[in-house]
Amino acid sequence: MNLVRSELLKIRTTNAWWLLGLGAFLSLVLAFAFNAFYAHQVLGGNAEEFGASGEAATVAGQAANIYTSGQFLGLLFVMLIGILMVTNEFFHQTATTTFLTTPRRTSVIVAKLIAASLLGFAFWLVTTLINLAAGAIFLTVDGHGAQLGEWTVHRALLFNLLAYAIWTILGVGIGTLIPNQLGAVITAAVLYLVGTQVVQLLFLALSAWLDSQAILKWQVVWPAVASLVMISGEKSDILPAWWVGALVLIGYALASGVVGVLITRRRDIA
Amino acid sequence: MSDGQRSPTPGDGQIVVSGLTKQYKNLRAVDDLSFAVRPGRVTGFLGPNGAGKTTTLRMLLNLVTPTSGSATIDGRRYADLTDPLRHVGAVLEASSAHKGRTGINHLRVICAAAGLPRGRADEVLELVGLTPAAKRKFKGYSLGMKQRLGIAAAMLGDPRVLILDEPANGLDPEGIRWMRGFLKGLAAQGRTVLVSSHLLSEMQLLADDVVIIAAGKLVRQGPVEQVMSSMTAGGRVRVRTPQADELVAALREQGATVTPDEHGVLLVDGVDAPTVGRTALAAKAELHELGTERPDLERVFLELTAGKAGIR
Ligand SMILES: Nc1ncnc2c1ncn2[C@@H]1O[C@H](COP(=O)(O)OP(=O)(O)OP(=O)(O)O)[C@@H](O)[C@H]1O
Ligand SMILES: [Mg+2]
Repeated sequence: MNLVRSELLKIRTTNAWWLLGLGAFLSLVLAFAFNAFYAHQVLGGNAEEFGASGEAATVAGQAANIYTSGQFLGLLFVMLIGILMVTNEFFHQTATTTFLTTPRRTSVIVAKLIAASLLGFAFWLVTTLINLAAGAIFLTVDGHGAQLGEWTVHRALLFNLLAYAIWTILGVGIGTLIPNQLGAVITAAVLYLVGTQVVQLLFLALSAWLDSQAILKWQVVWPAVASLVMISGEKSDILPAWWVGALVLIGYALASGVVGVLITRRRDIA
Repeated sequence: MSDGQRSPTPGDGQIVVSGLTKQYKNLRAVDDLSFAVRPGRVTGFLGPNGAGKTTTLRMLLNLVTPTSGSATIDGRRYADLTDPLRHVGAVLEASSAHKGRTGINHLRVICAAAGLPRGRADEVLELVGLTPAAKRKFKGYSLGMKQRLGIAAAMLGDPRVLILDEPANGLDPEGIRWMRGFLKGLAAQGRTVLVSSHLLSEMQLLADDVVIIAAGKLVRQGPVEQVMSSMTAGGRVRVRTPQADELVAALREQGATVTPDEHGVLLVDGVDAPTVGRTALAAKAELHELGTERPDLERVFLELTAGKAGIR
């Protein structure tokens, strides 16, 4: 517990958290504006024009989208915090002090994982509260009702929470695998931002080549795709069910945590 | 807390290194090294650049895994100490802080992790005279201030054993003198102080014992006096006489090597001072000065590590 407190103090005593928090807030504002505009159009009868169908065309679907505004970049920001929690130790050469204070390195990494999930939770809580307040007002004013009783909405909020926690943990994992700060940040950003499209194209090509639709489902092994699958929760012919996405993501979080611990235990701190 | 006699913590306060070895890819940085460090004394850990001092200290502190051998503090490996900071304080070359964090917060982070009361951070800052800079960010610290912050961090747990790697680096003369007094004071309280350095003149003033290594191997260990006098046996004799020519001839007959220096002093190697005196008497040379040149630690060190120094 002391170690978790120490890790949280490390974050609170530097600028990174509020810079990333500010970034997340700005992206939330932009995303909210866009989502609100989109919902207004879709629910105002322009659904087809805007490419919305199925659940996305329902009021609850649009409400869920609004209430999770800012998720896409928000997940990136919490992952960056996770990465910084580890790579900062090497970048600023504080690993020596940290491991002198706590020679049991497993405990240090576990504390970082716990602190990271707490932070992920805090980010989710703040964004969600903002979204709920602004979203409920918008939906009511726009004449659809707040939709707060809908399972679709609850589900979206819960999986949003899960996504925040897992991506922060994944950040810690990536940080232990790639202790070089710049290297880790760039790798993670590429994996998250560029990765999804590339993977989709790759799998489309692969499926055409093998003449198999089924292969498309395997896209889900890619963490960013798994995240989308888990969050969207929609039935689709091309993509597997939401829980597959959830399992894949949890698998990655566990694996990166375990590998991170093992690597850190063996590493020479010079 | 840190002044006056401290209450004894369990353990003997000894550092014992035995058969310690670290093999890097194609370099044996530390090679079957064994030595012991006693409490109540300042022990200087000396060696040329690349001798393996830092590597040894890092293995002692569980930061680097030894290839073989062991190192214990208070009879236990560092990793097995229950409250490491209350046993051992360490200041290493690369112990640094987050550039954007203030000095006081750096210490508070450590306090939180070690379960020490938050107020210790203020106390140790006061101890090293850094209180005025407590709320400044680490990136604005001078080299000497960083070194002091490192010492403050090492003192947080009021440890019985202090381990410092080149603590004098970056300190001005006043700072070095402060450090000397500080470390001597800690040793006088019964603590164990192990300091690596290659500032030999400083070590001569500071250390009670020395451990000298070169190329990863032990060269000599023991009390400074003893290590020095073991070398003084072959030490140089200084002699001054108006009858230089006669004395030089007589000494050469005894098998001594004589080198006159620019001030008319004869430097005699190979025989001791009584022999020189006797020879002078027999040669009827009048003596104006006769003495043994006490080699300083630097000369002893250079002689002991001759041929083994150099970057590997
Ligand atoms: N991680 C590493 N990989 C390979 N070689 C290393 C590593 N760390 C140290 N060395 C080598 O081990 C040797 C001992 O280094 P060390 O830093 O222990 O010397 P030192 O006695 O502290 O020297 P200095 O007085 O310059 O600080 C050096 O030759 C160094 O190049
Ligand atoms: Mg060194």
